[in-house]
Amino acid sequence: MPLNFFSMDANQSKSPPSQSKEQVSHTRDLDGKEVVIRMKNVNKTFYVREKGADSIREKVFGMFSSNGKKQIIAIKDVNLEVRKGEFLGIIGRNGSGKSTLLKIIMGAIRPDKGGEVTTQGRMMRMSLGMGFDPKITARDNIYVNASILGLTSKQVNEKFDEIIEFAELKRFVDTPVKFYSRGMRSRLGFAIAVHADADIFLMDEFFGGVGDANFRKKSEEIFAKSFIEGRTIVHVSHQLATISKHCDRVILIEQGMIHKVGTPKEVIAAYQELMKRVRRARLKRKNK
Amino acid sequence: MINPLFRLVIYYFVFTHLIGNRVPNFALYLFSGLIAWLFFAQGTKKGINLLKQKKYLIESIQFEQLDLFISAILSVFFAFMYNLAAYAIIHLLFFIPIKMTVLFFPLLVLNIFILVLAVSILLATINIYLRDIEHFWDVVILAGFWLTPIIYPKEAMLERFYVLAYLNPMAGIVINIRETVLYGQPPLYNFLIYDMLYAIVLLVIAIYLYKTYAHKAVEKL
Repeated sequence: MPLNFFSMDANQSKSPPSQSKEQVSHTRDLDGKEVVIRMKNVNKTFYVREKGADSIREKVFGMFSSNGKKQIIAIKDVNLEVRKGEFLGIIGRNGSGKSTLLKIIMGAIRPDKGGEVTTQGRMMRMSLGMGFDPKITARDNIYVNASILGLTSKQVNEKFDEIIEFAELKRFVDTPVKFYSRGMRSRLGFAIAVHADADIFLMDEFFGGVGDANFRKKSEEIFAKSFIEGRTIVHVSHQLATISKHCDRVILIEQGMIHKVGTPKEVIAAYQELMKRVRRARLKRKNK
Repeated sequence: MINPLFRLVIYYFVFTHLIGNRVPNFALYLFSGLIAWLFFAQGTKKGINLLKQKKYLIESIQFEQLDLFISAILSVFFAFMYNLAAYAIIHLLFFIPIKMTVLFFPLLVLNIFILVLAVSILLATINIYLRDIEHFWDVVILAGFWLTPIIYPKEAMLERFYVLAYLNPMAGIVINIRETVLYGQPPLYNFLIYDMLYAIVLLVIAIYLYKTYAHKAVEKL
């Protein structure tokens, strides 16, 4: 049963004019800044097979049985412009398409024909377990990631101690990452990201808020002060507190479409409204 | 390095004492062909699953993905260099003269390198859509070993199955390696040019196909 809760403004995706200053907790002048991410007419449909992988064997022997191919519309009709230095939040229910959207911005996934994604500057996507090869140590992972980002060994050496210091992982620097706890991986990932040199950061449900109270406080400070300054950030999160505190603009994604765009306050309200409706519908179905 | 030495010993034993052969300096003949072939076989094998292995990098960081292939092949190349050192030692121990023609050798190695790169990229791209290409390639390598004059003299191939030498670029390369390094003869120029062109053209095709089709790597692997 399709969940059809949208009001007619489901496809509202015009970028709002510059915000009134009382509604955000900081002032960030985005007028006149160049657009660094532009998505036009972006759609993405995944074709998923029911059984078996794509293979020669499948194609030869599977000719007679019809393997249903499911069509999953992950992203529909997204138009979006992000300016340099902007902090954009993306919220939405599980499975609404948030991660896919980030991957499309990143370029890891290409949109369907007709869609256009243009970006300016170096991008880095952060997610849990981001960019780590679990079999090698933290030290090696940092060097691998850095060399891919184009840093020289010398530059990495300078930052290396800072990163490990920040992540509080000195004891485990030479242990393979697969032995790390989730918190340790998050801390390592966050530490690397904070010191990395990308212009645009795509954060995919990436909690800066792991670790003990001290670490969280440290992260929050660094996050608020140096990390956000001058960088363009697109942040997918369920943590509404972070979203409302730092974001200039927030987008609500539902079933692959932009449901609402606006200030954190507006969009979070819309999100909560949506969640309420979903809960009510589920209850109704249960009681039938 | 243990692997090729071991295989060398076995093949040498079988093809000298169990089956006769008329090849002069058979041990060196065998070894030179073997290490060249292993470079090709191991290099291509590494390439097939490379995108799947390094998926975590591709989906998080922006970089020129083709560099991954180069680094993968370089590691196999170093193994080749070790084997080459072993070969050189044995070659000198037998007091076989080294003529000027050995200068062609780096060119031949470059040829293999380009060929391996091309095939790796090609296979990795196909792997995204057809996941069992890996098994298919295992069979190709198995056949290829016998379709390359590694254990038998080049005459056996060139006399009656000349076509094979044009289908299999490694055949010509291995033949030329022996001619220039072991026998001190000039290479067979037709193969020299043909195999180099083969590799370059294949590389261009591979890169084009990669740029066009490999973007589905993240979603399909």
